[in-house]
Amino acid sequence: MSRSSVTIDPIIQKTPKMSRTSATIDPITRIEGHLAIRVETASGRVAKAFSAGEMFRGFEMILKGRHPLDAQQITQRICGVCPISHGMASVLAQDEAYGVKSTDNGRLGRNLIQAANFIQSHLIHFYQLSAVDFIDVAAVASYQGNDPGLKELKAWVSAQRSANVLYPAAPFLPRYSGDYARNAELNIMVLKHYLDALDMRALAHRMCAVFAGKLPHAPGLVPGGITETITAKKIAAFESMLSKLRAFIDGCYLPDVLETAMAFPGYLKEGKGCCNFLAYGAFPESSTHDATLFPSGVLTDGNLTVLDTERITEDTGHSYYASPSGLSPAAGQTVPGHDKKGAYSWVKAPRYNGRAMEVGPLARVMIDGLKRDNSPLKQLTEKTLGKLNIAAENLASVMGRHIARAIECKIVADRCAHWVEQLVPGEPAFEDFDIPATGRGTGLTEAPRGALGHWMTIRKGAIENYQCVVPTTWNCSPRDDNGTPGPIEQALVGTPVADLDNPIEAVRVVRSFDPCLACAVH
Amino acid sequence: MSHMTRREFVKLSARMAAAMGLGSSAVPRIVEALDQFASGTLPVLWLQGLSCSGCSVSLMNSDNPGPLRILTRYLSLCFHSTLSTATGALGMEIIHRRIDEGAYCLIVEGSVPRAMPDACRIGETFFTDQLLKAASNAESIIAAGSCASSGGIPGADNSPTGAVGVPEFLADNGISTPVIRIPGCPVHPDWLVGALVHALKFGVPDLDRQGRPTMFFSRLVHDQCPRFADYEREQFARTFSEPGCYFKLGCLGPITHADCSLRLWNNGVNFCINAGSPCIGCAAEDFPQAVSFPMFTKGPSRKVKKG
Repeated sequence: MSRSSVTIDPIIQKTPKMSRTSATIDPITRIEGHLAIRVETASGRVAKAFSAGEMFRGFEMILKGRHPLDAQQITQRICGVCPISHGMASVLAQDEAYGVKSTDNGRLGRNLIQAANFIQSHLIHFYQLSAVDFIDVAAVASYQGNDPGLKELKAWVSAQRSANVLYPAAPFLPRYSGDYARNAELNIMVLKHYLDALDMRALAHRMCAVFAGKLPHAPGLVPGGITETITAKKIAAFESMLSKLRAFIDGCYLPDVLETAMAFPGYLKEGKGCCNFLAYGAFPESSTHDATLFPSGVLTDGNLTVLDTERITEDTGHSYYASPSGLSPAAGQTVPGHDKKGAYSWVKAPRYNGRAMEVGPLARVMIDGLKRDNSPLKQLTEKTLGKLNIAAENLASVMGRHIARAIECKIVADRCAHWVEQLVPGEPAFEDFDIPATGRGTGLTEAPRGALGHWMTIRKGAIENYQCVVPTTWNCSPRDDNGTPGPIEQALVGTPVADLDNPIEAVRVVRSFDPCLACAVH
Repeated sequence: MSHMTRREFVKLSARMAAAMGLGSSAVPRIVEALDQFASGTLPVLWLQGLSCSGCSVSLMNSDNPGPLRILTRYLSLCFHSTLSTATGALGMEIIHRRIDEGAYCLIVEGSVPRAMPDACRIGETFFTDQLLKAASNAESIIAAGSCASSGGIPGADNSPTGAVGVPEFLADNGISTPVIRIPGCPVHPDWLVGALVHALKFGVPDLDRQGRPTMFFSRLVHDQCPRFADYEREQFARTFSEPGCYFKLGCLGPITHADCSLRLWNNGVNFCINAGSPCIGCAAEDFPQAVSFPMFTKGPSRKVKKG
């Protein structure tokens, strides 16, 4: 399809009220940031979908001319849910630009910091953001047990209902009407763990802060390693918190995801997506960074190939930018062009070899599964598929993404126990460096939501150019210049939507990607 | 008032409506407002502009009270984009009705794209328009975090959106509702929860000239720094992670009003300077400073050979 043949009305135009073949869902709540989704249906299924990022701040413009060391601090503020990922990508780009290598303590400290934020991000995504699309929150009204948290919630809900408040039990109600779980045991169990997860995700942030200083927006990530020193007390504090989190992941998170998946078997098929997967790899296991816990790779049409970042470009044909289309991020530009005809999103459209790519836990699981013979991630994936009696292709689905996320959360948390044991108190975790007047660096890593890259050039001791291509830039991208929809737009096509006033099926597909719009646009 | 029965409430409300010259149709509204305030919770509408959600995530890190207790005992959080089950049109209906009914506290996270309103849209409307309506009808307004307080990073030099903080934007538009500013990137959960609970139980806390609660922002990070003695003895660190005062690394503790060094972060686990990193002044009014003002001023490493 040529670019000129694609006509998309700006999504801001109101969907006609009487129309029963389209709906604009704006805002999509329980994600990070400002996302609008428009679906057009035919015969009760989504025929076309449009994903629109609705917020722009211009980080890449603000970074220009600043001192290079400001970058890891400023880019963390792109996102309050995964600041660590941006901090990591930035310090990796700076490591390369400055020619500095972190010590073993520094590498391990970074892994632990990044892992802790993976855990907090995955927990909040399942319980606080996604589970309430499946679990019936109202079930708490008939709760008869003795759990203090659930009793408090029940008493509050019933007091709210009789107190004639404007929206009783908000923010837990109201919600779309839909086919919420009917199994009382499942509802109550996941609700209890929703409450527990509030504490657990805060605990993961506390654990992260042991080595990162504070969360969100950590001071402790710098080129050359981390700023925190390693002591026996900090190791013991981290281990203590980790053991509680691992118990919760093993005993609650992973089982809850699997039980919810089995209660909604249709969602092991819905939301398949483009089935092209991209991962940069993360969590270096050696000082040379050549072995990583999660591998890099590119999976298109079922074929696994080696990552070549030269094949990454960003289209802007349908994005609100005046900057040219098809630039590689190393030479990328960000010039807003908000009146542009045909544009409907602030998100650019990154493509690999011209293809839309899904990134995230599912991509990591798929690539690891093809690339490795016997990794812990692959073993747990195969064991889980067997337990649920489902095929590997079922992973490319709404529930498959939740399952992949929970599996890798356990793998990351388990690996932390190893990394924290490798730390050596008293040995440096930071290697000093000098900032060259001219330089360039690329920082590639994995955020909880997928492959994250920062591209930086330095000139006259200041940032000359800085470009970020972020996981949700990939997943939430609009159409590219060839008219190919982005991964979420593709995943929505075919989804049955029973009631366009309550398009719960569509938002379940969108949330399975864990979109983060502040990241996607930045 | 909390001992009053519901029947007494309705009677009182009817008398109030009559006294205020309102018809009986106003009674349910007054009952509702009284119900909400008497039940000890504050109706809150939370809106996000140019934000990263970091202040929301930070609020969820609150401990004693934790998030559940905040939601059930203190705030009546009718809408929050990250937590609300309501989505799409249903979410917008809640926002609109809450604004129409009035009698709420507006909390804003993120800055305002004054020069580029289409840089932030929610529910097919511009955030700038939504904010003006919500602020006009609010009883009180809290700017949570540095972005909402004074523009933050989206309002830094070279900002394409011309982002500013909520107080500046409202003043531009002739809205005089006072704004409590609680800066920080992100806001510390104790600062936000502390100010909210104070407002609810004991009235608006004491504020400084910038509208910040003095109980959290009256002293400099530097004055209460655990490394203040190093500063006095002129024992300065040369680079990150070293012992000594970070003054020569460009630490902004000497110009930043906040109690981080005593309060610490993440339930007392750590804070920037204890972690071997200078204060970047994230709660200071000028954060993140000018493009020409680096957050760090690290000197040459020891690896550099002299001559």
